[in-house]
Amino acid sequence: MSFKKSGKKKHFQNKAYLYLLPALTVAAAFCWYPSVKSIVESFLVVNQGGKVIGFAAFDNYRRLFSDQAFLHSIKVSVTFILLFVPANTFVTLLAASLTRRPSRLSFIPEYIFFTPVAVSLSAYSLLMSDIFRGEASVLNNLFSTAFSGITTPAGAMAVLVILGIFLDFGLDYILLMCAFRSIDRSVIEAARMDGAGGWRLYWCVEVPMIKNTVLVTIFLALKDALLISAPIIILTEGGPYRSTETIMFYYYTEAFRSGNRAVQNALASIVLLIAGAGMTVYSIFKRKKEAL
Amino acid sequence: MGKTVQRTAYDSFRHVTRIILLVLMSVIVAFPLFYMFSSSLFSASDFNNLRLFPASPVWENYTRALNQKFFWRNMLNSVGTSILASVLRTAIAVLAAFAFTYFKFRGKNLIFTALVLTLFIPQEAVLYQNYRTIAKLGLLDTWAGIISTSLFSAAQMLLLMGSFKAQSKEIYDAARIDGATDLRYLTGILIPLSGPAILTVAIQTLIVTFNSYLWPLLVTNRSSSRTIQIAMTMLGYAESGQLGPQMATLVIATAPFLVILALAKKKIETTLTRR
Repeated sequence: MSFKKSGKKKHFQNKAYLYLLPALTVAAAFCWYPSVKSIVESFLVVNQGGKVIGFAAFDNYRRLFSDQAFLHSIKVSVTFILLFVPANTFVTLLAASLTRRPSRLSFIPEYIFFTPVAVSLSAYSLLMSDIFRGEASVLNNLFSTAFSGITTPAGAMAVLVILGIFLDFGLDYILLMCAFRSIDRSVIEAARMDGAGGWRLYWCVEVPMIKNTVLVTIFLALKDALLISAPIIILTEGGPYRSTETIMFYYYTEAFRSGNRAVQNALASIVLLIAGAGMTVYSIFKRKKEAL
Repeated sequence: MGKTVQRTAYDSFRHVTRIILLVLMSVIVAFPLFYMFSSSLFSASDFNNLRLFPASPVWENYTRALNQKFFWRNMLNSVGTSILASVLRTAIAVLAAFAFTYFKFRGKNLIFTALVLTLFIPQEAVLYQNYRTIAKLGLLDTWAGIISTSLFSAAQMLLLMGSFKAQSKEIYDAARIDGATDLRYLTGILIPLSGPAILTVAIQTLIVTFNSYLWPLLVTNRSSSRTIQIAMTMLGYAESGQLGPQMATLVIATAPFLVILALAKKKIETTLTRR
């Protein structure tokens, strides 16, 4: 009897592996393998055809960090992160706060705030590149302003931040708005009975209760800001004067236009390291929160 | 008494500020979409004259958009890859989640950790190596090339595991005793019971794949194998200043999702709001 049981158990085991096979195959082929390969090759000399022809130690990294264009791209990315993350958090939190209590007509702004999730990256990028195409633009015409749009370095950075916010807005809004509405009504009623209303209720009761969701959106914004490249390909091509050449746009041009394997592998490894560190901090933090 | 009056005045001030802010933000967020719809009916001179509304709507932009040489081909590529990715990715995540929630096997923790750790690897960082792999497999300019790198999502697997764990295991044992195979249990009981979670995963993949840009851009070279999202950025109208047909293409590719969103909004809200 016991013999039979263990036989059955073994049967179960094998089936589980079969069910996991597709997931493992994709994860191994397109996540693990390329990551390990990037890191290993970043320490090797690889020729254009992909053949390993020597050991490079840290030479690839040295080359990367002696490239002025790369150093510049770090500056651009840091600027973008510092502008985008706070602006995005403020705007999405404001939108969610304004609609946190449903009312008769609130479905209209709610739907409008939902729409960015349905609009593609390339659609928003194309729209922004026309709306902010230069001093002669529809908005400048409307408000009699003289915003330079994507034609000057500062203007292009501002447009990129605006575009970034549009790309993240929908999802962040949905998460934050639903978090607000998940707050237990009785907590708010109790705070009201104690005389807390308006600002006090908002800042001392409601915001602290959705703190975790706010942190999730900040984390997502950080990740998106660090990895931004596709909107730049459509919007500015890194210009003007390299003012919007972020780290990942630099990676894209080096890897796919210059075919620079050495720099590509070194940079990919650094990004993997940063992303890994970031995710580790995030998951430790999250686990701590859940334990509380 | 005095206090009450003050309070009401303050409350109505807050109320008015809230309404003003709400209207302002709604207008800003809706503006690019409004401009998309409006300018899809622009003539070339409407673009030059920086208008908000077309002088007289040029419906021809839509016929020109639909008559682009590769429009239908590009659209088919987009729809085909999205549906294929949606079905396969959901199926792969369902099977993995099923294995982790229903079976005991050696190396379970190790495999689980290995799969969850893929969350730590941004696809952007492995673009080049994945491109090499796809090229070596001869999958450039194919649907398989467009979708295969994104067929597993650990986040979706975790979401499904959460939903599967909520189902009673006794139903599974009973079904097994009744002679149901795993496949029958999955398709007949578990998947219908976890409907909302599976639908969320499927729709999410559908939208993400349809709207993806960078990866399809890299693995397609021929105009006929591009997806609509890539094609719309390469229409070449910008040089001639005739953006109308391009904006019409944007509308055609975006409008269906705006409708889906309107229909699904309530569902998304109830799924994400815990009461």
